[in-house]
Amino acid sequence: MIFNILLGISVSICLIGLLLRCSAWFSQGIRPQTQQFSFPERLSAALQGVFSVLFSARLLDVVKSFFLDLLLQQRILVKSWQRWIAHALIFSGFLLLFFLHALDSVVTENLFSGYYSTLNPYLFLRNFFGIMVLAGVAIAVYRRLSLKPQRLRTYASDWAALIFVAAIILSGFLLEGTKISSQSTFMRMVEEYGDVSDEQEQKALEAYWIQKNGLVIAHDKAAITDELISQGEEVSSRSCVECHAGNSSAFASFAVAKIAGPIAAAVGDAGVVNALWYLHILLCLSFLAWLPFSKMFHILAAPVSLIINRVMGTENGSPANVLTRQMIGLSACTHCGSCSLECSSNMFFESFQNEFILPSEKVQFLRNIAAGKGLDAKTLKTLQQGLYVCTSCDRCTAICPSGINLKELFISSRYNLLDRGIPETTLLSHFSFPLALAQSYASDHLKALKNVEQLFKKSFKTLSDMVLPLSLSTPRDFGNASFKSCYSCQRCTNICPVVRSYDNPGEALGLLPHQIMFSLGIGNVELAMGSKMIWSCSTCYLCQEHCPNQVELCDIFYGLKNAAINKIEAGGKQ
Amino acid sequence: MKYAFFQGCNIPVRIEQYADSTEAVLQVFGIELERIPEFNCCGYPVRNVDEKAYILPSVRNMAIAEKAGLDILVICNCCFASLMKAKNVLEKDSDLQKEINTLLAKEGLSYTGKTEIRHYLTVLHQEVGTEAIKKKLVNSCKELKLSVIHGCHVLRPREITRFDDSFVPQITEELVKTTGAKSLDWRGKMECCGAALAGLNDDLSRKLLAEKITGAQKAGADFITPICSYCHLQFDTTQKNMAADQPGTAILPVLLFPQILGLCLGIDAQRLGIDRNSTIERSHIEQINSQLGPPVEEKKKRVRQQAA
Repeated sequence: MIFNILLGISVSICLIGLLLRCSAWFSQGIRPQTQQFSFPERLSAALQGVFSVLFSARLLDVVKSFFLDLLLQQRILVKSWQRWIAHALIFSGFLLLFFLHALDSVVTENLFSGYYSTLNPYLFLRNFFGIMVLAGVAIAVYRRLSLKPQRLRTYASDWAALIFVAAIILSGFLLEGTKISSQSTFMRMVEEYGDVSDEQEQKALEAYWIQKNGLVIAHDKAAITDELISQGEEVSSRSCVECHAGNSSAFASFAVAKIAGPIAAAVGDAGVVNALWYLHILLCLSFLAWLPFSKMFHILAAPVSLIINRVMGTENGSPANVLTRQMIGLSACTHCGSCSLECSSNMFFESFQNEFILPSEKVQFLRNIAAGKGLDAKTLKTLQQGLYVCTSCDRCTAICPSGINLKELFISSRYNLLDRGIPETTLLSHFSFPLALAQSYASDHLKALKNVEQLFKKSFKTLSDMVLPLSLSTPRDFGNASFKSCYSCQRCTNICPVVRSYDNPGEALGLLPHQIMFSLGIGNVELAMGSKMIWSCSTCYLCQEHCPNQVELCDIFYGLKNAAINKIEAGGKQ
Repeated sequence: MKYAFFQGCNIPVRIEQYADSTEAVLQVFGIELERIPEFNCCGYPVRNVDEKAYILPSVRNMAIAEKAGLDILVICNCCFASLMKAKNVLEKDSDLQKEINTLLAKEGLSYTGKTEIRHYLTVLHQEVGTEAIKKKLVNSCKELKLSVIHGCHVLRPREITRFDDSFVPQITEELVKTTGAKSLDWRGKMECCGAALAGLNDDLSRKLLAEKITGAQKAGADFITPICSYCHLQFDTTQKNMAADQPGTAILPVLLFPQILGLCLGIDAQRLGIDRNSTIERSHIEQINSQLGPPVEEKKKRVRQQAA
């Protein structure tokens, strides 16, 4: 009765959770533009997509995906056999236990006639599957600990998932172990199934079960003779063996019985068995209820994401489906950290100390963006930088074991955040190059660039802003002192391909290369930092190579660019 | 000979054919390339923002190669420059080396400077040598006119890249010569493709690119041969984007050096990924194939000259 109530509660929570998570697939999303789709529009676009696949040759891809991606988990296998073994052990062990043990009255009994949970191979297999799961969890824990220096981030929720799974299995072993040793369980079963005629036979049976099957009863050890045991064996073969294999087949629980049995007997074995039964059931049922609200939801979302990935690759479907795919992807993330381990930008994370540079960390936060949750300005700024400091190498997308189209997700998110108007100085880096190449958000990109330009205009004075005559001061120490050798021959300016690209370069660029050296020479670093020239430099190094006095112009420009960004970023904090 | 193959971020996902053709060509000369998945970005993209953040990734890459006991072979000019820059900076700055090594120690890496950085052209020119290349040729493409664009960051600043004469580069020219193709003398050969400005100032970036395209076309080039991966993307992708904005523009097709050399070494065009260059049409491949002839036999000429 209590079990049924608990089961009802847990299943209802699970179903409500699944409904909520799945409805988020069709209602949330990260869109850079204002294009809106209603829930029914999203749902029907998705169904259309599904049908067009089911009734085309692409159905083959789905079948292929089922075997290769879902069953074989090929995407994990090609990256790391260690991870694959860990996942395969947990995945197959847990699923087999779920179907063959938890649902035995529905599945196993109908599949195998003559099924008794106490018979072999079932008795043995349950333990075997449990040990598989535990071994998988152990490898996963080891992986998380050993890869910490490689920037693998582990949250409390990641540990929680591992602990939860391990706890279910361990409580199962404890329960079975104490049942093996329990006198009351033994007595109950003898009463129910036993063919015991007198007290002597009862004694013999007990002796045999103590000796062979891990039963723990406070007996006089001297009284257990070989003769008694062989008599017990006879009774056992008559009463028990038909439906109960030897307990040593349940090897893990049998070992537990040896250790925990005496303790349980001392405390009161009937109570202990009962308590452990509740513990095991409560753990299983709360796991079921917790599943949709945790990363364990990937059990459902990852297969969907993987099939979509196999069918579509990184190609985008209709705009409504792109959003739906984003959301399925976000919910399929297990925070396994594979993407961050191989992220090409991982060293920028070390330099900027911005967690959001790691793809796995971005994803966790993008869920909030997708759900439309408000974020404070500081977090937004950090997330925006994290999204921008990306080399567009697409490794994360290729690696993701859940097949999430991270590339699309990150680009959409990047422009979604930039659209909010916070200037992003890293736009001025070469991270912008692949974006310019792809041309996917050209106008959004230009708009974001304008925001940065405005910030520069506010932060720096240009030559034309200055009313007073320029004053002379001692050249400031500025990392690279080679500008001091400049004798204004203007070779740099004359050879510069950028200068020659403008009809009126002075106006377009603010300062010309030789003027920048001059401005550093008179100690006006600010003026040099504010000139448009440094951001228009094509970094071709012709000026530097041709300078007769070895002034390192291009390197100085880099220094000025760094300093200008530093100044602006520091200004933002003040 | 075996090298750690440093491809950078662009090549594996946008110009795979550059890696494939280089691998195929070097294989002919017994040079093996090991792909190392742990390599990260060279640091180049962040240079405008933070010089130190620019140096660090290259040091880690060299430390990874050092652990593997290999020297690094690079295709991309900008990656090459970043690795060389980091090497140069650490040679002079032992404090920074110490600081970076403390960070790298966490993942069991350490940088001592043992790893050498080699551009694939240097390997072809110095380790293999033009004579050895000529011996393996089965074809030559005498009538092919190429506009080579050397790329800025492999030549300059010369103190850092230590690659070739930065005013009169020889390595690439001599290598092209082995194939029989004519490397045209054209305006823009040593200049900027505009890649460094893409995404920051697209107008200016495209202007610089257009200048190179028309320059090469005026010089009569059949193909443009970019050495740097950024140049390649400018010519092979941005050029097409530009043409889409201005229909009717003549496209200057891109042919990479290892693709040309590969053809002359008898490697299949498919394996060299020539059709994966997006500016290459079927007619271009037919054109190249029709121009392939037996290798030029210089010896005979010399004998004749001597006789005369």
